[in-house]
Amino acid sequence: MHFRRFILGAIASAPMLAAMAGAAQALPPDQAKSFITQSGDKLVGIVNGGGSESQKAGQLRDLVNQIVAVDQVGDYVLGRYNNVATPAQKQQFQTLFHQLLSYNITYQIKAYQGVTFTTNSATPQGDDVLVDTTIATPGKAPADVGWVVEDDAGQPKIIDVIVAGTSLRITTRNDYAGVITDNGGQVSALLNAMQNQISKISAAQ
Amino acid sequence: MTKLHRRLRQGLALTVPALALATALSGCATAPPKSDTADYQAYQQLNDPLEPTNRVFYNVNDKLDTYFMKPVAEGYVHITTQGIRNHVGDFASNIGEPARMLNFMAEGHSKDAGTSMVRFLVNSTVGIGGIFDPASAIGYPETDTDFGLTLATWGVPAGPYLYLPLFGPSGVRDAANYPVEWFATPMEAAPASAALSDFGYSETGLHLVNTRAELIQPIDQIKATALDPYATFRSLYRQSRASQLQQIEQRDNRTWPDWYRQPAQ
Repeated sequence: MHFRRFILGAIASAPMLAAMAGAAQALPPDQAKSFITQSGDKLVGIVNGGGSESQKAGQLRDLVNQIVAVDQVGDYVLGRYNNVATPAQKQQFQTLFHQLLSYNITYQIKAYQGVTFTTNSATPQGDDVLVDTTIATPGKAPADVGWVVEDDAGQPKIIDVIVAGTSLRITTRNDYAGVITDNGGQVSALLNAMQNQISKISAAQ
Repeated sequence: MTKLHRRLRQGLALTVPALALATALSGCATAPPKSDTADYQAYQQLNDPLEPTNRVFYNVNDKLDTYFMKPVAEGYVHITTQGIRNHVGDFASNIGEPARMLNFMAEGHSKDAGTSMVRFLVNSTVGIGGIFDPASAIGYPETDTDFGLTLATWGVPAGPYLYLPLFGPSGVRDAANYPVEWFATPMEAAPASAALSDFGYSETGLHLVNTRAELIQPIDQIKATALDPYATFRSLYRQSRASQLQQIEQRDNRTWPDWYRQPAQ
């Protein structure tokens, strides 16, 4: 029961991966709520709007780059291996991470047709704000999704997505760490796996 | 054959082959040296010393799922509507309410135990045997717990991660839930009969297919996007269990009767 619930919730929010950002100012909850409402409306507008799938994918990629702190996502996901990776590996990782994020966001856009997005409450969490929303897709149970928003140089940005108590940034970090530890702690193995994944997905699209 | 013998036979039919396979394939991950502080800490935090064996079972389950469970679930989706699947889910959930009530009592959460009791009484009657869920509509939403979480509230640590054959993600503590759940069903209170056994098998099978049907798209997506699906499922499982435990400890649902009135604010 619980396993079903968390997986369903996690997937409902798949278009939004996020990351830890650096030190920031406290963000007013109302501003965070308004930001998430506007972002959600844009997301729904793209998914349910006209245009081809590739056009929608492009629009979604642009939107995510605007509302998610993608570079910090990469830093957080790489975690302690930031101290192991060479500067060139870090740069390559960020490039691949941006590409992979784009592919993951646009994966199965059709499955989200008819999605609706409702913003509920906003709760301060230290300097960040957790905005609770409900995402409903036709034929599926509604999912409660929490968005952690931070002030990033004066702009609100999403830094994590919480679904049924699971953090997507932590899940992704553990996913990537699994690849590195299974390959003797080599960051190059992660970069290869990411490149292979990109090749596989782009070949399938 | 007595009811207990019949239930034991059913349980053993599932668990003995699984345990035999587990023993035959058991292998441990090699811990990094303690001098390598960061790696050693990460290994301890991961708490998956049986990872090589767990990954074997993950691959076995994955094959079983790909070639059997998923096709069956897709066929089931083809011949049912979302409404029917929701009712099947409600029915299975209702059968689990007595076990949840007992677990909440063992956890010292009387109000949650009361909620489970009210849900079972209302849904089994007004909800026509649990096919419908009117209890949620009158203010008693489903609250989840199990024996693994009960042990957690008693202070039992999660222990190493386990990926069980057939059952999937679990842990040393949480695996204790399976035998308890197996016996804590309303069917145990009814006189033993072949028809009851058949009902038990059918209900379990239908519940499994119904649950898998709900997960078709999510699991497909995890497998398609995760670099290491085994590590991803492990992470999701652990975070989810920690969250469930936190919710149980923080929750304060209303219950009839209102055993613990809140002091005036």
